[in-house]
Amino acid sequence: MGIQKDIRELVSANVISEETAKEISAYYQRKKSEPNNRLFIVFGILGAILVGLGIILIIAHNWDDLSKPTKTVFAFLPLVIGQILCLYAILKRQGETAWKEGAGAFLTFAIGASISLISQIYNIPGDLSSFMLTWMLLTAPLIYLLRSSIVSLLYIAGITYYVSETAYWSYPYSEPWPYWGMLLFMLPYYYQLFKKQTESNFTLFHHWLVPLSLTITLGSIAVKHEELLFVTYMSLFGLFYGIGHSLHFKDRSTRSNGYKIIGSLGTAGLLLVLSFNEVWKDLFRTSFAESVWLSPEFLATFLLIILTTYMIWYNYQKDKTIKPISFTFLVFALIFSIGQYDVIAALLINLLVFAMGILTVLEGAKKDNLGILNYGLLIITALVMCRFFDTNISFVLRGLLFVGVGVAFFLTNMWMLKKRRANDQ
Amino acid sequence: MINKKILLPLFIVVALIQLYVPAKMILNQEEVLETGRLFKFKTAPIDPNDPFRGKYITLSFDRTNVPVEVDSVWKYNEKAFAIIAEDSAGFAYPISISKEEPTEKQNYLKVTVSSTYNNQASINYPFTRFYMEEYKAPEAETTYRQAQRDTATTVYALVAIKSGEAVLKDVLIDDVPIREVVEKARKEN
Repeated sequence: MGIQKDIRELVSANVISEETAKEISAYYQRKKSEPNNRLFIVFGILGAILVGLGIILIIAHNWDDLSKPTKTVFAFLPLVIGQILCLYAILKRQGETAWKEGAGAFLTFAIGASISLISQIYNIPGDLSSFMLTWMLLTAPLIYLLRSSIVSLLYIAGITYYVSETAYWSYPYSEPWPYWGMLLFMLPYYYQLFKKQTESNFTLFHHWLVPLSLTITLGSIAVKHEELLFVTYMSLFGLFYGIGHSLHFKDRSTRSNGYKIIGSLGTAGLLLVLSFNEVWKDLFRTSFAESVWLSPEFLATFLLIILTTYMIWYNYQKDKTIKPISFTFLVFALIFSIGQYDVIAALLINLLVFAMGILTVLEGAKKDNLGILNYGLLIITALVMCRFFDTNISFVLRGLLFVGVGVAFFLTNMWMLKKRRANDQ
Repeated sequence: MINKKILLPLFIVVALIQLYVPAKMILNQEEVLETGRLFKFKTAPIDPNDPFRGKYITLSFDRTNVPVEVDSVWKYNEKAFAIIAEDSAGFAYPISISKEEPTEKQNYLKVTVSSTYNNQASINYPFTRFYMEEYKAPEAETTYRQAQRDTATTVYALVAIKSGEAVLKDVLIDDVPIREVVEKARKEN
């Protein structure tokens, strides 16, 4: 093995001691046994999910030849098997990730299969959203009883689907309030994962799925003042951005920092949408009623602004730096209130996006990170692209803007590479 | 780690709830089927696809209009209780709808209001899905269409009703269950 050869070489060259050499060997030995285990977990879960989904599909065939009692037995069979597997995992295989995750995934699907087969036997039309709600409520305790991350992930996906079905895809929509309680229910588990298994892949998936779920569901709080949601969402993205840059997250790879990515892309995307004059003209056709102060939209916005401000302050306390981009949401809230009276807001948003782009470029330059630098340039490019569609800007000006951004791409990248080369020498 | 001594009883309680919920669904339906009164509702099925629950035929009904005093009282998809009566041919129809649950000994159903116009409200019945075996559902639709073209045949849904709850028992074409009609058509071809 290559590493052993290297270690011997380092020992004979007196770079490391014999003792260190042993420690290093032992470390790699331990590490080597992990991938196997990980593979086992992945296949365990995949297998359980496939079998679970397969059972649902077989059930969906709706066997006419089977009598009602036989069908009823089949409705309970997967459920009971799943429960026995989970019980076995709890009692005999405690601490074995592959077992508890696999059994948990299987039972989760078995619950859904069981309810859905009974709906078939008795021709219950029951809407999809109440089906999802029942399914997820019955699944929820498994997260803690099994300490299963896959159940937790399926649960987040399930309650998010429930919200989309209830609030976005059916009419008349109803407010899916249970979602917030159900999300709160799984947070202690998430927190534990975060504290105890910081580097685990399951934790990483949670870091993506939780902000993604919140991004999808936040819109469901809208009742009458949907316009306000722009501020609500901007504050949410601001909060994600803050979390993504907090002490616990900032040194993580981009891949494992869902908060940072969703926060940053969300902020940029939303700002770009609002950089169009037309959007602002549409936005305030009707002015806010008195009742706006007590609307869920306003309360959520208020809460998120406080949370995000606290997050910035918290980050400042921890490492004495403040990212100017963190304040985008506050500046935006201000511009939004100006927008009620004047379309100058659109112009201000353009400046804000531009500033965000420049700040990102500067950050990239400072950290000597081409990725960040080009992301900043991309923001500016997107802004310029958006203006391309604004017909009231002259062709010459638009042309100059494009040329300018193109040249900026060249120059900054070249400058950075040159600087790197100089550093290397 | 939660202690095994606590974990085990907790898991058993959760497992029992997981079993109880589907069991309760079955019991509710069985109760309506056994003690409820049977009604015939004239129908018109079509065939969509539910990603979770396989193939079924969607039923739409012949007589869904009911007189109301004021149109504007009812909103789209509002829940209502419909009192059901039978005509001389033995088919069910709604005679009135109300927002409060009827207290008298009448046969009534939970429905939703789809629209109102000229003091007439159109209602949706809660039994719109009849589950069929995967390959039979499309055939059932064809069979139904043929039956529909022939004005002499009648298609109806047999529904058990008790205290507002309804369970769809069967769909029949000229008094023959649609499953049998499809089977017969298969054998003939």
